[in-house]
Amino acid sequence: MQEPELHDLSDDSDYAASQLQQQQELKSMSRTDSGKKGGDNEPDGAEIVFVKDNVTIHPTQFASERISGRLRLIKHGALLFMTWIPYKEKTDCTAQSSSSNTKLSERDRNLYTIRAVPVTDIRSIRRHTPTFGWQYLIIVLSSGLAFPPLYFYNGGVREFLATLKQHVFLVRSADDANVFLVNDFQDPLQRSLSSLELPRAVSISNSSSTPTLASSAAQNDNSERTDDGSSSISQYGGRHGQKVHDPARDLSIQVLEKFSLVTKFARETTTHLLREIQNDGFLANDTKKQSQPLTNDNHETGLDDAQTVPNEISVTPDPLENTLCRKENHFKEAATRVGTFELVDSKEFDKLTLVWGQPRQPPLGSEEWATFLDAEGRILDSKSLRKRIFYGGLEHQIRNEVWKFLLGYHEYDSTYAEREYLASVKKADYETLKSQWQSISPAQARRFTKFRERKGLIEKDVVRTDRSASFYDGDDNPNVTLLRNILLTYSFYNFDLGYCQGMSDLLSPILFVMKDESESFWCFVSLMERLGPNFNRDQNGMHSQLFALSKLVELLDSPLHNYFRQNDCLNYFFCFRWVLIQFKREFDYEKMMRLWEVLWTHYLSEHFHLYVCVAILKKHRAKIMGEQMDFDTLLKFINELSGHIDLDVTLRDAEALCVCAGENGAACIPPGTPASLPIETELLYPLQDENDV
Amino acid sequence: MATMGNNNLNAKLVLLGDMGAGKSSLVLRFVKGQFLEFQESTIGAAFFSQTLAVNDATVKFEIWDTAGQERYHSLAPMYYRGAAAAIIVYDITSTESFTRAKKWVQELQKQGNPNMVMAFAGNKADLEEKRKVTTEEARLYAEENGLFFMETSAKTASNVNDIFYEIARRLPRAQPQNPAGMVLVDRPADRSQSAACCS
Repeated sequence: MQEPELHDLSDDSDYAASQLQQQQELKSMSRTDSGKKGGDNEPDGAEIVFVKDNVTIHPTQFASERISGRLRLIKHGALLFMTWIPYKEKTDCTAQSSSSNTKLSERDRNLYTIRAVPVTDIRSIRRHTPTFGWQYLIIVLSSGLAFPPLYFYNGGVREFLATLKQHVFLVRSADDANVFLVNDFQDPLQRSLSSLELPRAVSISNSSSTPTLASSAAQNDNSERTDDGSSSISQYGGRHGQKVHDPARDLSIQVLEKFSLVTKFARETTTHLLREIQNDGFLANDTKKQSQPLTNDNHETGLDDAQTVPNEISVTPDPLENTLCRKENHFKEAATRVGTFELVDSKEFDKLTLVWGQPRQPPLGSEEWATFLDAEGRILDSKSLRKRIFYGGLEHQIRNEVWKFLLGYHEYDSTYAEREYLASVKKADYETLKSQWQSISPAQARRFTKFRERKGLIEKDVVRTDRSASFYDGDDNPNVTLLRNILLTYSFYNFDLGYCQGMSDLLSPILFVMKDESESFWCFVSLMERLGPNFNRDQNGMHSQLFALSKLVELLDSPLHNYFRQNDCLNYFFCFRWVLIQFKREFDYEKMMRLWEVLWTHYLSEHFHLYVCVAILKKHRAKIMGEQMDFDTLLKFINELSGHIDLDVTLRDAEALCVCAGENGAACIPPGTPASLPIETELLYPLQDENDV
Repeated sequence: MATMGNNNLNAKLVLLGDMGAGKSSLVLRFVKGQFLEFQESTIGAAFFSQTLAVNDATVKFEIWDTAGQERYHSLAPMYYRGAAAAIIVYDITSTESFTRAKKWVQELQKQGNPNMVMAFAGNKADLEEKRKVTTEEARLYAEENGLFFMETSAKTASNVNDIFYEIARRLPRAQPQNPAGMVLVDRPADRSQSAACCS
């Protein structure tokens, strides 16, 4: 008797719930013995057992290029097939399956359409439940290839899995609670074997002896409750003790996502090659199995002794795995014809990121800069420019020109003449603003406490801002006076926000680069458009960034995240200084300016600074966790990293992390989080505290 | 909270006060013996530790140095929660900083640990010619509020170690002092040096 419930996903309460629901909804549910192949004889026609609309793929980062379609499970005879057909129009939710297209190119359509893949060809399904955004599934074939993530805009992930489970053998991976292994073995031994080895290719015969359903699966189009992936992970981790959620596995899936965008051509080639190799005969038994005793640690799921695996059972290893490194009991490798790559455990992850981020390039110099400008001074291809700066930064002598674009003070498509005109207008504007406080007489100031206090704050801070830099050192340095004037003018320009400690740190490098008072002011204004919320009285700008940071660490290094959680460090206040002033205090002046211009490109993300945080934390994860740092020690440690962070390595690591995190990473960051431009509200900086100046 | 093991006491200490009063300078003078004329502002908070020998015991101070601006006030409870001691710092050349220091005292009296040892430090005592807050005024306020008071100068190091030493002396002991003959655990000569500087 082949009884899937023996290997139930009973640790998944959602699953159990949906199962119950379905059992109630379905009048009858007849199961057949595994011996009776195709006991439920359908007529010739196919039966649709599951259908879900608005299942969408995101081929690129751009929302406009998303492709929605209809996902179906179709039972044909004893075989179950999965199809996903894009709609004719990607925004048309009600369209039927496609045969022609209006908007999508034929090539795209062919590329992404999933035409009747036998479910037996699916190796595993990974469920993702981002905190923000839609649940999605990544379906990995036994060839090692994966389809693009399928986003369930209308919910239905649970129903999909539940339906699948009624037709094929589906078991939750012992290594990862969000991974479901799909296979269809008659032989329970083979089945239990395959359940041990998640991402590996197991030869899957086309035999089909699934319990079948007389009626079609319930169509539950109610929007699905978004279940909390993280809690199921922690629940799981608690049960399995040492088997903590593995970041490298997350990564492996994300890499699969990246590579799932291979062209259909590549996909077909791979499949073809795979077939050829498999036809060459089975490779030798994998001795690895011997070192993998059946982990019978999940009693509830009923893995019992009867299923202990004899070594003789022949399993064809994935032929593309031969160059991959293996870790005991862990398979973090994925291979495609596009490239064989290794996914290693978190200890080795640091090395991986080091080779992964692109090498840094030399800084952009004036000659090359000129090539980005047309005859009238317009920047023709701002994206290329930003990319170039992202990977190399700027030579110092062109910073004063290029920073104005990066900061948004100048438009990329403005001409020399327009910029010159703008500068003169803005200079006059600045003088007007400045005269507002300059015209306050001592008698007026005596009656203007807020002004006096604000001026006092600024004067206290400018005299201790970067005074060791030659530009600001010495007594009566005129540049210190400029800092004061600009900050005081800004506190009138943005009176609601006022002056806050940290602003002088943000202004100092800008004045150093621009030299000019008015231009420094306007560049600072542009920067504060994005970073102003860092200084909000209610700290919400900082809170949203530190929250996003915690979600990113959870995504990219869940053991570290768990460590922080266990040690009450989840508020990430130890990163407060990093985020508030964009690492200003963590690097020497030149390196800090390099980092800033890289961040300001917003090339990979507007929130690249958060990935920089993750990169630095990951670099020191072994020390942090090894020395069992508590919050105090951690804060001390982080503060003392200042001056000891390798910028180039950090940038490469951060780039790799950002690329790997992809949309999952972006989904960790709530809209409006600095350094995104704030979502407009009537009062940009609501006043809360009358005592505050 | 002060915790005690044998004769070794760990004590969390927080520095509060207006921006520019000299909180970081006091800590750096105490912990590292350094003084910078233009000590940069503290962003968020900084953490230091330093051990003092007092009589036959040692006190390890875990010191939280906080950002002074009112804007960051909302973060302060995170730092003074559970503190065994606090130094409220003002600048003797600034009446505003004295006013603000008094507000901190009020807040700690309301929110803080009732057994907290509170020190009131009038810093920048070397700037006598610019003095705005008289010693008497501050002393009176301190006495009325059960604080102990010192005027300090991080620049000249005047009274800096003394104020920490006095706090260490006043920290409540969980148990009576052991009689003579108690051997201090793993505290060789370097610790007695720090005791010497505070005598």
